Amino acid sequence: MALIELSKVGKDYASGPEVVRALKEVDLEIGAGEFVAVIGASGSGKSTLMNILGCLDRPTRGSYRLAGVDVSGRSADARAIVRNRLIGFVFQGFNLLPRTTALENVELPLVYRGVSARARRRRAIAALAKVGLADRLGHSPAQLSGGQQQRVAIARALVTDPPLVLADEPTGNLDTRTSYEVLALLQALVRDRGLTVVLVTHEPDIAACASRVVTVRDGRIQADERTAEPTRAARLLEELGGAPE
Amino acid sequence: MSSLRLLLSAFRLALVSVRKSGVRSLLTALGILIGVAAVTIVVALGEGATRAVQGTIDSMGENAFTVTPRSVARSGARGQRVPPLTEADAAALTEAPTVRHAAPLLSSLTQVSYRENNTAAEIYGTSLAFFDIRAWKVDDGALWSPEADSIGGSVCVIGRTLVQELFDGGDPVGQLLRIGRATLRVVGTLEPKGRSPFGQDQDNVILVPLATMRAKFYPTAPGQIHRVLLSADPEARPARVTEEITQILRQRHRLPDGVENDFRVRSQEEFRAMQQQVFGVLEVLLLSIATISLLVGGIGVMNIMLVSVAERTREIGIRMAIGARELDILLQFLLEAVLLCLLGGLAGALLAALAVGGFGQLTGWDMRVSWRALTVALATSSGIGVLFGFLPARRAAALDPIQALGRE
Repeated sequence: MALIELSKVGKDYASGPEVVRALKEVDLEIGAGEFVAVIGASGSGKSTLMNILGCLDRPTRGSYRLAGVDVSGRSADARAIVRNRLIGFVFQGFNLLPRTTALENVELPLVYRGVSARARRRRAIAALAKVGLADRLGHSPAQLSGGQQQRVAIARALVTDPPLVLADEPTGNLDTRTSYEVLALLQALVRDRGLTVVLVTHEPDIAACASRVVTVRDGRIQADERTAEPTRAARLLEELGGAPE
Repeated sequence: MSSLRLLLSAFRLALVSVRKSGVRSLLTALGILIGVAAVTIVVALGEGATRAVQGTIDSMGENAFTVTPRSVARSGARGQRVPPLTEADAAALTEAPTVRHAAPLLSSLTQVSYRENNTAAEIYGTSLAFFDIRAWKVDDGALWSPEADSIGGSVCVIGRTLVQELFDGGDPVGQLLRIGRATLRVVGTLEPKGRSPFGQDQDNVILVPLATMRAKFYPTAPGQIHRVLLSADPEARPARVTEEITQILRQRHRLPDGVENDFRVRSQEEFRAMQQQVFGVLEVLLLSIATISLLVGGIGVMNIMLVSVAERTREIGIRMAIGARELDILLQFLLEAVLLCLLGGLAGALLAALAVGGFGQLTGWDMRVSWRALTVALATSSGIGVLFGFLPARRAAALDPIQALGRE
């Protein structure tokens, strides 16, 4: 069974008197354990697609089944619960809470899940250790580099053990080396834990790391291709040489 | 159970964010602090003043009444005539079944001196019954004799203020006082009584037999007096006593039916009611002013919370993206407002307790912040938090996560 099943999904926005059809008849299936890159120009509808995939928004038409459950018509609160249970978000701007420690940031999704303070702490520490930040628990985002902040965000996305991680331009604010580090981390998670990752990017070399590339244009899926041999980000990192951060 | 946990975690979040915006939280809470302090102080002042007045009204004596003349407009006569009350009226009133004692009273202001000391005092000409009615006790010496009571004598009883002012605290009993143009011997002093309900110093008094008063200080038409003081059976209803007094006096003054009373009977109960009315109005007035300052504080909280929601739109978006429901966000901001108000309220109550304590020390009144005032203050400040925090919190909870995250 596919993890994500979009069937004839459309999304309209009212823009003044006009209706903008941001998405038109999108069909998409993504299986568990896939690493999918979504590419497209700005205004192509890929952000709208991501908002729908992330249950941040509801489709105007069509159905969206996530892990076998139809989530397309759910209320705001129900979608909040779906996001909390099934989806981890990684954003371009990191979106960590300022003046809040890495540990507290990572604990946050568990707070809304009603996990006890002790279990929260234990799981958040484990998640931060997994992204290599076990020694940065008490640092606030301002005290961390961009790469470290993005790794805190990944830890926050993973701490609830969601089947799906949505990454929206996760490397957009990072330099090449740090970008490869983040990609290597995501690839490792897909390989080792069977995580499903959907990644939005406009950089071809980043998309090349995914096992499947979906191209969005004018609100439709223009191309959907499997990559025969995805680039291994860890190897790119080795080629860059020098000491990692 | 899960809603309790929800509340607890929202409270924890609120606590964290209040702590993180330290100075701003402090300033916001300050508005509430002032409001709560004002309300608490006003309530404490009102309660203290009421207690003080109650005490002095009680000091008027038990179930006490006063009869005074009352001007009556007579048809055909020009102007008004004040019909006199007489000693005989006072004596006749003791015949009323519920009346225990009745004392005639003439009063005036006079100059009094002892050697080189010299002051002004109230002088009362009355009978020995006066002391029973008011329950004024002799401190030192004795009251004048029954003989002096009926025919007069050059004797007087003085209050504590005069003892202090004229004798520098020395023993006045047996000494001669120069009062007006007469010389009177002090036979006794009175226990201190403090101020009357109307602010008079009840210890700055000279009491003399009525006949002495009339002969030496206040010549009047035969038998005329200013007022009659009465005390009634403690069990007797004030209305019943008033009715008896009225009946006797109307008969004595030969008032035909349909003619108004030419005297007025006031009971202690009336004084009490009057006093309470005055204080009630005053308290309502002060309390409304204090409440306005609390309201202003609440508006300050709302203002800051609105700013805070606007500033933290992104934070709200993040929280929503990772699974916060509308209720989670609503509670977080609502509790933040309540927490601010509650902190301000607690500090305000503390400030009020200090201020009221200081004021009590200064005036010697029995002043304290009552539990009632404290409960009201804290309940009001949390209420204000809910009231003025709700709009900003609802605005926060109603945000669209996509817009809040700036993903458009």
